[in-house]
Order: sequence, then structure tokens, then C-alpha cells
Amino acid sequence: MIRGPIKWLIVNVIAWIVGVLWILPFVGIFMTSIRPFKEIVHGWWVFEEFHPTFSKYFEALFHPSYPLWRGLINSFIIVIPSTIIPLILAALAAYAFARFSFPIKNYLFLTMLFIMTVPQQMMIIPIFFMLHNMKLLNTYLGLILVHSSWGIPWITFFLRNYFTMLPTELEEAALVDGASYRQIFWRIVFPVALPGIVSAAVLQFAWVWNDFFFALMLIYDPKRMVATQILPLLKGQYHIDWGLLSAGSVMVMTVPVMVYALLHRYYVKGFTAWAIKK
Amino acid sequence: MRLEKLSFLLPALLLIFIMVIYPILATILLSFNIDIVVGAKVSDKPPSLENYFKAFSSKELLNWKGVETGTFPMGALIHNALWVAIHLPITTILGLLLAVLLQNVKGASIIRSLIFLGMVVPMIVGGLLIAFSFDKDIGIVNFLLNILGLKMFVKTWTTYPDTALFALILGSVWLWTGFSVVTYSAGLASIPKEIIEAALVDGAKFRTILFKIIIPLLKPVTVAVVAMTIIWDLKIFDIVYVATRGGPGGASMVLSILMWDYFARVADYTMSATIATILTFIILPVAIIWVKLVMRGR
Amino acid sequence: MVLVVLENITKIFPPNVVALDNISLKIESSEFFVTLGPSGSGKTTLLRIIAGLEKPTKGRVIIGDKVVVDAEKKVFVEPGERNIGMVFQNWALYPHMTVYDNIAFPLRIKKLPKNEIDKRVKEVAEALGIRELLNRKPSQISGGQQQRVAVARALVKQPDVLLLDEPFSNLDARIRVTAREFVREIQKTLGITTILVTHDQADAFAVGDRIMVLKDGKIQQVGTARQLYDEPVNLFVANFIGNPPMNIIKLVPAHPVIKALNLEDIVPKDDSLVYLGIRPDEALATVEIDNAYIVGKTRIIEYVGARKYVKVEVEHGFPIKVLAGENVTENQKVGVLVRKVHVFNSKGIRIESITY
Repeated sequence: MIRGPIKWLIVNVIAWIVGVLWILPFVGIFMTSIRPFKEIVHGWWVFEEFHPTFSKYFEALFHPSYPLWRGLINSFIIVIPSTIIPLILAALAAYAFARFSFPIKNYLFLTMLFIMTVPQQMMIIPIFFMLHNMKLLNTYLGLILVHSSWGIPWITFFLRNYFTMLPTELEEAALVDGASYRQIFWRIVFPVALPGIVSAAVLQFAWVWNDFFFALMLIYDPKRMVATQILPLLKGQYHIDWGLLSAGSVMVMTVPVMVYALLHRYYVKGFTAWAIKK
Repeated sequence: MRLEKLSFLLPALLLIFIMVIYPILATILLSFNIDIVVGAKVSDKPPSLENYFKAFSSKELLNWKGVETGTFPMGALIHNALWVAIHLPITTILGLLLAVLLQNVKGASIIRSLIFLGMVVPMIVGGLLIAFSFDKDIGIVNFLLNILGLKMFVKTWTTYPDTALFALILGSVWLWTGFSVVTYSAGLASIPKEIIEAALVDGAKFRTILFKIIIPLLKPVTVAVVAMTIIWDLKIFDIVYVATRGGPGGASMVLSILMWDYFARVADYTMSATIATILTFIILPVAIIWVKLVMRGR
Repeated sequence: MVLVVLENITKIFPPNVVALDNISLKIESSEFFVTLGPSGSGKTTLLRIIAGLEKPTKGRVIIGDKVVVDAEKKVFVEPGERNIGMVFQNWALYPHMTVYDNIAFPLRIKKLPKNEIDKRVKEVAEALGIRELLNRKPSQISGGQQQRVAVARALVKQPDVLLLDEPFSNLDARIRVTAREFVREIQKTLGITTILVTHDQADAFAVGDRIMVLKDGKIQQVGTARQLYDEPVNLFVANFIGNPPMNIIKLVPAHPVIKALNLEDIVPKDDSLVYLGIRPDEALATVEIDNAYIVGKTRIIEYVGARKYVKVEVEHGFPIKVLAGENVTENQKVGVLVRKVHVFNSKGIRIESITY
């Protein structure tokens, strides 16, 4: 649609300038994390001296009160079950929504759609007291339970849309072959729907890793805090050690960024599925 | 067979009902002082609307004095409203323009990824990045302002009441535009090339094509982007928490932080529930529009 | 060896679309039965009802001595329990499994012992000529081969009835002929009661012992290929069967052509209209005009396979496509010798067929 080589060049140049400008804050935070403070006191873009060091990373990881290494491990402990559990439960439910008919199906589906728009703040107070009652407050299990429950509505919605796009013939052939619905689901539908399932898994993983609010409300023992919780604690009350914070930030964001980089296709497909109906 | 079909649904529905739906209902009731939380005494006050009166007359929610004089803080409701009013149009229009711009660019998917990065990182990091970028000495925003000769705006934005909220809002534009760019790009890809070519053959100029063909065809995408953006703006928590904690002096207070404040700092659980309920009911109209959009596709 | 009985099968889709209207028929044991009809005739719905993938609104189906579905008595046997094999239009092969696993699937569901499964899979694969493909995935084999795998999967569990849903429509013309022969051979060898659904009359003619013609959910006619061809019960069947299609000529009873063909006594006098049906293969355009009852001028010559047809503008004012005799060219005066004509009344029902 852009005609003329000059116009094309201008457009490309502008686009790339926009791109570079856009990631400047990330570049900045990375620079700040590896350069000693005296070098960047007038700005990380000042390159009079350049003696990079990873000391801030170690400082963050092994911080006396809030060590990030523990935060990172805790994040993994929480994220992995919180991805697998809702994925399986929601996939089963999504299949039911896609293929079965039952009386209140539409109302249930509608309810789940609305739940997806509700803020976390809306459920956390009773959850807090319920978990406290069940002695699950400040425990891994409690947080995993909450994340899993919170993930089920959106994953069900997402996978249900995906399943309805699969041709029914495969499942009908399996029915004629004598398979039960359980067998059809695990042996036929799940493998064939794998791309969609990976998309959902990737998004849920990123979402749980990035979460802060649930952890803030339900975990207060520093030994059990997740990575995103540790970060604000590294922010000093009166003096902000940007080197420390930057190093911590880089480490915490590396995991979701890596997932995005490796599974980029699934990530984007998942995201745009929200808005685009094929 | 029936039993089997039930087993598909039951575990998921059970968890949703116990851990999501019931707590949501309980929160709504708590805002009226009604306690249905199993096994815990959250409220022992008689049912009444007192929390709502208290909320709407509190300065944290609505500070009329601030609104009249145009100084911050103006109250969480106003702050969230401002957030939507500024963030939404910028991110939507910018997203569309960038998506269109990137249609013919070499390496467009890389650029899209760079812009999208803000969506991938935790919002805690996002908030830190904002605070970092608006810092007086090492923040890139102030550096650019200096270069552009706008020295009067140079300061650590997040520590001043009149600029704290704007820093957060502008920062959120930087973080969230990736969503609209990627979504609009996908939408553009679904427009058949032939329609654009037919318009070119008909002699239409770029501006006409954009406004008369592309934008109307992208209407469902726009509705989705707008709906999701508004909901995101209203729910925002992490960014504010880590960058300003709602300060200074409540100048960047938002509804979700206010809710947390009542819970964690003041331990007034019914007020906390009230703020949460107010927040949810503000989201409701937008949620209805979004749900309608989704259901229309069935 | 089982027979299949359908009694009063009716299927109505909401709000009030009648897909099948009171279908009753009996399919003999080991018969190769074909349901033929245009799209929307209900033929696939009927097959799916027999398979158990749809439920009839009324009526019942009996396979062998078991009632597999009874709408009024609320009896329903699951597809997996009806001991049927089905070949879907798009094969429905499991894409993530090898050919071996595809064929073995129904046996594994039945939890047969491993060596039994292996024996049967290899047997069936051998019989269908796909033994060497067992390790490949569906995407790595041709359409014709995929079809054989689908048939293998259907047959491996030694079903009572074999159902085929438009099995040839996805194959190109060249392969279709071999595929048809192949399926027919297998059916005759195994003697398995088979029901095939198609919209292509050539398919039906090639494989079917008996053919049922469906239109808008109603049975038009059931009979052998010969019966349908020579004694079509109405205009629809007459026109649907046969390629090139039968010439249907709409005339008033007093029309001169009726007299020319000696049909005055047969044509009903009180009817406002009559239809004459003449198959292109049963009439010949010849340069010898003298003996012909009908004369006309040739227009366009057309080749269908090895045969040469010509469209003739008959002097009585209508066109008719017939075989072209020797030396017949375009724009020539010719006589048309009619060997057989079918007479239909104004409602489209066949009254009689005359052979000259």
C-alpha cells in the first residue's frame, strides 16, 4: 500500500526508530543492573567509563533479608502446579462445553465470561478468611489452589473456542470405534488440540509467574514469598538502590521473557484469540 | 454416558463455585455488612448501607476540593477515570497506526515483539520501569525532556502529587500499547488483500482507505481492544503499588490500592469489600459489552 | 450376516426442517445397498441415524435381531455398541497416529490381547493392499491409500454392518473407478451387509445391488440399477439416473409428436400436460430421413467418453440430445429414430414405457 521507494524507506526508518525507542527503558534497566552507580549517576546512557559488573545480581540473589534466589524457587514451586492443574480441569470442562449439551450450559458459560472480567480484589477477602480457616494461609498449597481456581474460567473459555474449531469427524469415528468420551478426549482430542493447549499453558504460566496481588495477600513469610513479592521489598524506604532493583527486575522478568521468546507463536496466538474470532 | 459427561465438568465447576463465585458473592454481601463467610467472623455489624455512604463521602474516593481546584489528589474514582480518559484513546489510536505502519516494514514481527515486551513482564517490573524512567537523574524521560528544552518538567515525577498519576498513566501507555498493536495486526491480516487492492484500483487514497475501509472492518477488534483496555485500567494495582503506593499523599490512589489499603493497613474488611464491589460494578457495563461481543460470535 | 431394518424413520431438525419423512426399508443380509440422492435429500442423516450419531425423531432401526434405536420407546444403543464399521467422507483418520495405530484403535478400545490385535491389523492391511504403509502417518500417504486405511479400520473389528459416507467424492476421477471396483470386491468377498451413501449415480450403479433414490427426505424408488434405469417411477428418478440425463419434453396431449410416435392411446386425455422422456442413448440421429417419425436440424456435437451425441432442434419446436449416427455433422437435417420413450403424466408419475 505504500508506494514509491522513498516513502517505503521513510516508513521503515520510522518503524525501526519507534522499535528502538520503545525498548530503551529495558536497555536502561539492564545497563543500570551491570554498571556501578557512580558511573550512571548522571544517566545510564553516559559512557565515559564502562566497567560492567554482576555484583548487583549477587547482591539481589543473596540479599540478607529478602534473597531473590528463594523468591525465584518459590515462584517455580507455585507456577508449575498452578499451570498444570487448571489446564487439565479446564480442558475437560471446555470439551464438555464444546461437545455436550446440557440444560444450563449457556448460563454457566455466561457466568464464566463475567468472572473473567472481575478483579482479583473482588474475591480475595473471603478467600483470605477461608484459607485461614483451612490452615492454608501462607502456604504453597493455598496459593496454588487460588491460582488454579482463578485460571479455570479463562482457560475453559479459551479452549472451548479452540475445541469447537476441530472437525467432529475424528471424534465420531472414535465413537463408532467404541471409545468412551474419556478415551476420545485423552487419545484423540488432546493430542490433536495440542497447539491450543500449549498456548493456554504458556499464557497461564506467564500470568501466574507475573502475579503479585494474590501472593501479596496470601503469603507473608519471607521464606515463602515469590519473586514478584521480593522485588518491592528490595526498594529502600529512603534511598533507592537502582542497581539492586534493576538486577532483581532483570532476573524476575527473564523467565516470562524466555518463555515468550521460545514459544512466541503460541503466546501471540493465545493473546489474539481474545479479540479475533476466526 | 451421562455420568461420564458429568465427570468432565464437575471438578472444574466445583472449584469455580467454591473458590470464585462464592467469594465474589460473599464480598458483595460484606459490603452491606452481611457476613456469609464460612467459619470466620468477618463482620459483626448489622446489615446496612453505611459503608457506601462512608465510601462516597470519603476524600480517598472522591476529593471534590481537589477536583474543583484541579490539584491532586482528586480521589481514586477520578484517578481511575483520568486513567481511562488518557490511556484508552492514546493506546488504541497508537496501536492501530503502528499496526498499519508495520504492514510493509521489513522485520515487522521483531518490532512488534519489542513493543509487546511490556505485556510479557510482570507488572511489578513494569511499575519499577516507570519509576525508573521518570527519575530525575537516571530516568530517560527527563533526559529527553532536557534535550527538548522542557526543563520545567524535569523532576522525579513519581514523587510529586501533580505528576505522579500522569507518570503512571504515560507509563501504562508504554506497557500496554503492545496489546493493541499485536491485536490490530492480527485483525489487519484477516482483511483480504483484494479489498484493499480493489480500492486502490478505484483510485482511493491511503487516508480514505484507512477511514472508510480498514477502520469499519476492524470494528469488532476495536470493541475488544477498548473493552479489555478499560477493564485493565480499572483493575490496575501492581504498577501503582510499587511505583508510588498510591502517593504522594494519595495523589495517585486508585480503587484497587484503596481496597487493599482498607484491608491491610486499616483492617476495615467491610470497607475493603465495599471498594472492591464499587470497582466491580464500574467494570460491569464494559464487561457486558465485551460478553455481548463474544456471545455474538456463537 | 445381518439384515438391517428401518421402520418409519422420521427426522425433524428444529424448528421444523423435515430431513427424513417416514422411511421404511429392509436391507438384506450381505447386500450392498446404496442410498442415492442430491445434497439435502437426507441420505447422510439416514446413515448417521443407523450409525447412532443422530437420533431419529420417530421410528426405529433394527440391526440383526437387536433394536438399536426406538424413538418412541426411548431405546438407544451407543454407536460403539452397534458393531458397525463406518468410513467417513473425509476418512477421519487420526492424524497423530500411524496407519497401524489407526487400524488398531478399535481393537485396543475393546482391550483385545496384543498379539491378537497385531494379527488382525496385519491381516486386514494385507487384504486391502496397504501392508507396507503401516508405519506411516496419514499425511504421508495418498488419498486413495487413506481411503483404504479408513476401510481397514472399519473392517478390522469384523462388524456386522459396514457404512460408507460418500467414500469416493474425495478421489479424483481416475482413482474413483479403481476404488469402486475395489470396494465392491471386498464386499463380495466378505459378504458383509453394506450401506453406501452417495450423490453420484455412477458410484451407485457401479457397486449397488439395490439402490434407493431419496429426495427431500422421501423415498422415490428402491430397486436394482436396471429397474431404476428402465422403469423410473417418476420424473425425478428418470432425470437423476443416467448420463447424459434423459431428455424430458413437456407437451400438451394434442401435440403432433405424440401422434408421430403412436402414443395417442397411452397419453391420458383429461390431463393438461404430459411429459415424454427419451434417453439420449435410446435415440439416434441419422442422415436417412425417410424412415424417421421425427425430423430436425442438428446443432452441437458432443463427446461423452467413446460416444458421440448431437443436439437436434426437432421441427416440432423442442431440442433433444441423441446419439449421433455415422456421417452426422452440425447444422444438418437429420431424422431421429426413437427406440424407447417413457410417458409421464402431469404429476410426473410414469404411466408407461414403449419400446419400438
